[in-house]
Amino acid sequence: MAQLDGVLIETDVLVVGAGAGGLLAALSAKRHGTPGTRVTLVDSWTIGRTGHTAFSNAWMIVALPDDDVDGITREIVAGNDGIADQLLVRRSLEQSYARLKDFEAIGMTFHRADDGSYARRPTRGLDLARVMYPEGGGLEFCWRLRLALDAEGVELLDRIFVTGLVRASDGRIAGAAGIHSRSGRFHVIKARATIVSTNAITFRSGFVRDITGTGTLLAYRAGAALRNAEFSYVRPGTPKFYFEGITFAIQEGAHFVNAKGEPFMREYEPEWADEADVPRIARAMALEHDKGNDPLYLDMSAIPEGFREYFIQSKVKWMDNFFRKLGAEARTDMFGKTPYYALNQMTKMGIRTGPDCRSDVPGLLAAGLAQAGCANHFAGFHIGLCVGNGWIAGQSAIEDLDRTPPARLDAGQIQALHEEAVRPLAPAAAAESDLILRDLQAVMFAYDVGILKAADRLQTAMRQVEALAQRFGALAAPHTHELVRLKETEAMLMAARLILGASLFRTESRLSHFRQDMPERDDANWLVWVDILGAPEKPTFAKTPIPTPVCPVLPHAVRPTRRNQHFAAAGG
Amino acid sequence: MIERIDIGRCTGCGICDAVCPADVIHMEAIAVDVEVPGLAQTKLLPVIKFREHCITCFSCEIFCPERIVDVHPSVKNRPRPW
Repeated sequence: MAQLDGVLIETDVLVVGAGAGGLLAALSAKRHGTPGTRVTLVDSWTIGRTGHTAFSNAWMIVALPDDDVDGITREIVAGNDGIADQLLVRRSLEQSYARLKDFEAIGMTFHRADDGSYARRPTRGLDLARVMYPEGGGLEFCWRLRLALDAEGVELLDRIFVTGLVRASDGRIAGAAGIHSRSGRFHVIKARATIVSTNAITFRSGFVRDITGTGTLLAYRAGAALRNAEFSYVRPGTPKFYFEGITFAIQEGAHFVNAKGEPFMREYEPEWADEADVPRIARAMALEHDKGNDPLYLDMSAIPEGFREYFIQSKVKWMDNFFRKLGAEARTDMFGKTPYYALNQMTKMGIRTGPDCRSDVPGLLAAGLAQAGCANHFAGFHIGLCVGNGWIAGQSAIEDLDRTPPARLDAGQIQALHEEAVRPLAPAAAAESDLILRDLQAVMFAYDVGILKAADRLQTAMRQVEALAQRFGALAAPHTHELVRLKETEAMLMAARLILGASLFRTESRLSHFRQDMPERDDANWLVWVDILGAPEKPTFAKTPIPTPVCPVLPHAVRPTRRNQHFAAAGG
Repeated sequence: MIERIDIGRCTGCGICDAVCPADVIHMEAIAVDVEVPGLAQTKLLPVIKFREHCITCFSCEIFCPERIVDVHPSVKNRPRPW
């Protein structure tokens, strides 16, 4: 057994993960706490410069005082086919304007129209909701929050990769253990409340491939239930370039066509065609692929010449660099024939909590996309919800401090966490986790597993994943860089089994979960959450009724958004 | 994917390492030429350590104060669905 050798840090509230959810959780905890309350934020890399939010536009749904919060909640619930925590969604919307004011107070600028009102846009699939984003996008959003947290006394620990949750001698969660992601040094952060905000799990497939969302699995191993594993965020995209403006391109007349140049969306979605929500587009693309009509393209020829430049530049610096360096090629790629695929971005599996963001395990809370608040994605909804549940989680954590006696660490458990963290290190080993990952992606991203599901194919995929897990067991890491990747791959393998298991369990179709062998939505039996509990090796799946305190769940009610006035507002 | 860092013009500030979300760039002690023969000197300079894990986010290029990092816009290692 490796000699225990590490660093102990003590705090009151520990937040793991520095995307929108974690940044807001840390800010909220600091501001709700009494003076002297210690709040610590850790991230695997540099807080404020890395993470999924940092590389997004940071579009977020904000409800201004005159907006219809209950109406927006209703349409979000309908857009999630009922799989939403209604109170959490409404609470997030209710406080979104206060957060907007907080953001402005720490130096963010949100665009305004000539009359001084906020420049806002509709988002695809929702009618009443409006989105807005801070100047500079996610990088500016995260950096401003980092500076604010620093100024307000939050302890910021960069480069701590969390490998396990610490359990106190009385059973509750009392912090986290991890390694410095460069030096490999073992760290224990002892806390009275721990908020996991490490994103949803991905298979290194989104446009920010460093995000792997391992925290949800750590919470699961520590006894928390997970939910929404059968849902995923699969969106049209091209591996050739980043394009985060599909929603808006479609609003301006773009549509998907097959190899013969035929628009195909109306065949699958008679009512909404290309304005259907993302899972329905992904499904149509997979079905069109099945017919042998590849490659598929996003035909943007309807976009008037004068507006095209808008799509090959970005106010987000990194995306703008990307287009600028592609030069003329960007224009050719975007407006010419570049094959599009339904690309898996992330799972929707998250930690089960109440609308207060507390998990079932004392001392453990969840925020960001690590919290299972929703099952579908709309542009601006992810970050809007993360801002909301981050704030709520921070507040709940502070409320819990008053009734939490000091924890006592269990030396044996710390020793075990250390052993587990460093065990795979072997200086002479080859770095091979990428090989497993590649094979795992091939299993999970296959259209007839990830999008078009059926019991027999899911079972075959499960056997393939089990075989990969066997192969994985023999791997070791020659350095810390690979050790982190190894841990991430291990979490992905576990996530894959939970995803396939939940997909087998839900015997109906809903949102991105499309069972070809059970293609109908079945509200009588399946308007429920599928919760995952039990030992990681032997998960059990259970139905949990979804409370409907705000509104009943209506049939899928995605509405095409009105053609917006963006170009007019932008002077186009 | 990151192509190169013009080490000759690098001040060793380490920002590229700090902002990399994929642990691609590491600051390492590298021997440099000195004006007096027989004296050895090392400087902390960036090394592209794990190029294969670059996610083409351009952060190193954007935040480099000397503008000496070059990222190519190709996105080679993004998985396809089949």
